[in-house]
Amino acid sequence: MLLFLPTLAEPENFSVAEKIAFAGLVLVSAYSFWRRFGVVLDKILKSRKDASFRFSPVGKRVWEFFWEVLCQAKVIRERPLPGLAHACVFWAFLAFALVTLNHCAVGLGIGFLSPKSVAGRFYSYFAAVFALACTVGILGLFVRRFLVRPKWLGAKLSWESGFIAFLIFTLMATYLASFFVADTDSSARVLWWVHTLALLIFLPILPHTKHLHLVLSPATVFLSRGSFAQIPPLSGDEDFGLVAGTDLTRLVSLQAYSCVECGRCTEHCPAANTGKLLNPKEIVLGVRAYLNDLGPASGEPLLGKYNAQDAVFQCTTCGACEFQCPVGIEHVPILVGLRRGAVNTGTWEDNYGSKLFLALERGSNALGISPAERDKFIQKQELPIFDGTQEYCLWLGCMGGYDPKGREIVSSLVQVFRYLNVSYGVLRKEKCTGDPVRRLGNDLVFQQLAEANLEALAQNKVKKIVSICPHCVRTIQEDWKEYGTPPEIEHHSEFLARHLSQLPSVQNEEKIVFHDPCYLGRYRDVYEEPREVVKATGQLVEAPRNHERSFCCGAGGGLAFLGEETGERVSHNRAAELVATGASTIGTACPFCNSMFRDALATTGDAPPQLLDIAQLAARGLPETGSAKDQEG
Amino acid sequence: MKIIVAIKQVPDRDAQVRIDAAAKWIEESDIQFALNESDAYALEEALQLKEKHGGEVIVVSAGPERVGQTIREALAKGADRAIHVACDDLGTRDALGVARLLAAAVKPENPDLVLTGLQSEDLGLGQTGVILAELLGLPHATLILHIDVEGDAGSSAHIKVKRELEEGWFQEIEMPTPAVLTIQSGGNKLRYATLMGIKRAKLKEVRTLAASELGTDAAPVVILERLALPQKQKSTQILPGNAKEAAAALVEKLKFEVRVL
Repeated sequence: MLLFLPTLAEPENFSVAEKIAFAGLVLVSAYSFWRRFGVVLDKILKSRKDASFRFSPVGKRVWEFFWEVLCQAKVIRERPLPGLAHACVFWAFLAFALVTLNHCAVGLGIGFLSPKSVAGRFYSYFAAVFALACTVGILGLFVRRFLVRPKWLGAKLSWESGFIAFLIFTLMATYLASFFVADTDSSARVLWWVHTLALLIFLPILPHTKHLHLVLSPATVFLSRGSFAQIPPLSGDEDFGLVAGTDLTRLVSLQAYSCVECGRCTEHCPAANTGKLLNPKEIVLGVRAYLNDLGPASGEPLLGKYNAQDAVFQCTTCGACEFQCPVGIEHVPILVGLRRGAVNTGTWEDNYGSKLFLALERGSNALGISPAERDKFIQKQELPIFDGTQEYCLWLGCMGGYDPKGREIVSSLVQVFRYLNVSYGVLRKEKCTGDPVRRLGNDLVFQQLAEANLEALAQNKVKKIVSICPHCVRTIQEDWKEYGTPPEIEHHSEFLARHLSQLPSVQNEEKIVFHDPCYLGRYRDVYEEPREVVKATGQLVEAPRNHERSFCCGAGGGLAFLGEETGERVSHNRAAELVATGASTIGTACPFCNSMFRDALATTGDAPPQLLDIAQLAARGLPETGSAKDQEG
Repeated sequence: MKIIVAIKQVPDRDAQVRIDAAAKWIEESDIQFALNESDAYALEEALQLKEKHGGEVIVVSAGPERVGQTIREALAKGADRAIHVACDDLGTRDALGVARLLAAAVKPENPDLVLTGLQSEDLGLGQTGVILAELLGLPHATLILHIDVEGDAGSSAHIKVKRELEEGWFQEIEMPTPAVLTIQSGGNKLRYATLMGIKRAKLKEVRTLAASELGTDAAPVVILERLALPQKQKSTQILPGNAKEAAAALVEKLKFEVRVL
């Protein structure tokens, strides 16, 4: 015996006049949609082609599309409640594709999902479940936007969002209501028309609002650059980065129009969180406004009216924005692109920046110290010179070779090497990898440094590099690819985690909070290796912002060299968070983070926690001198 | 305003300098070269004058082929064209010999201003600019930090220059043009080289003049006898005893051995 269930009411027998009116309205709605959407599409397609874009690997794209778009994983993961509400709306839209098609077909008398057929009845109930979820979801999002009002959505209330929410609610409500009326009832016809009108009003509004992301963002996620924070190579003799509209590529334009203005990027941005001008969301919207007003053929500079140069140079390139973006916007290449435009053409004037560039045009390291100091350090520590016979080339980097604290980290790592009898050597001469100039947009100096270093490594027949600096690791492995084939490289956390079982255990109760460096975590996806090292020497404590949500120390993107910040210092913000965990030790895995926290902790009045790199933690349990073999002997 | 900047390529500050077998010059094979520091400031001053008053900046440099690299850098920073005086014997020429080469290259250009660095980082003679002025028959001033063009920037412009004296004193001089000025480091902030500059530099004119064609006398008046690296010796002494004894011993030494007290 079948239970009585209400069925979806579908009015029959529309008059010819109604059919013509409906068809006319559909045409008007579709035309209004296209009038705006066509313009947007035209601006995207008329932008410059992305010369370095490669479609492969397709598998990765398909997976990201499935995971981030279809499963809404990123949307939910970062903000579970609103994320789930959004997912409900999104999934309902997918389920409603067939319903809407049928709804329109009914208006022309050619409906195909008959409530009388089993399939039709099943699908209408199936969609009803989503409609219910969507109704709850959209109400929740409405309450959030208009009553809770999180600051990330912007100070100004978006009435268009309210209207869109109202339309979505109307669509769902009319769909659900039609289960409770009869086909023949005149109210069925009213519901059908209200549903239709909501739909036909919704469509042309989309391309005028941030709801354009409905149409664009699936494509944006699918057509990403391929890897995180990837800086594209310049193409040809007239490409200096993002200088004017003519430099905007299709990917940049597509991303600018895809922004849904959710503010996740801003919520995680170290600059935006410490009172600086930079707001990554506004940067993307600035590019969009430029495209709207001037278009991709304009020679007007991108920096000026639409985006402030000062803001662009406050970015630490920590990548938190790009990592969080649910619609596939790649903020780092855009920000670095704008910097390239300013630096490669000489329009950026900054005393500290010029000093850094001049130091690296002539000298070998970003600190501007004589290389003789590095030689002295090598002699004092009796570091073997790499001659092609050793397994590892230990890359010192500017911090490891010249900074006192960085040298301590190198010395500890060397202690571990000696204990493990690892064969290693350091290069007689090393130049800065070019990380700070790369991120600041100086392609000339970066190329000189990358080429000189690649040549030195090839001459010395280096096969494997290990480095204490995640910035060196990233730059050597990824950024140098533009100029040659860099040797294999790993960060010392990876090396240490692999050899942990061979090191003496020194378990104790010491609470150690680990700070994820941006260039190790988000850039390299290495989160657990340094934690294993920490766990082997104490009790691991997590800061509120950890793993991929880690908060920058403020040094990245060349900012370590740019002098005083405006607003609160990023390093002080993060250091306070680490201190508040109550840990007695702060564990770091990057000499730049270490340097920033060293200064930040020095300003706190009471006894701050001690600050140690994971190499120093690992070396603590080792005997003072000699190798394992010596001990055995 | 037509400004010529004489620049010199010198061993990089970070280079490990070795003396060659004849002890007359350094081993050039294994070291990097760069633009002489005060010449970089001379170039910067010229570029700023051009930006303010219009005109042309021409760099001139004497030396072997490797000098081309430094010339391109100067063009990349904004110089309009360059003259390369090709000669392989820069090390054995004295300041007069080099100035004669430069004068022969500069004279046909009839510049309004000739700027040189105060002195070179390698030989540090500090004379080339002054001798150049003499050879060109032009007035000169040295140790210049800043140049102001008074009134019209045409061919008969007057300039006001700021000289650096000892102990924080400065001197301002008004002088006519054309003139030769040697520029002190630190008067301006140097600009960095840009990718666009380097690409544009490829299109700029570099005229090469062979030293032999300039008809100048290469025979040096001042002959370099021998080149040697400074002797390093460690003469650190640890004074024993407690603070009082050590202090007494220190005073003793400062008085009678070092004789500074």
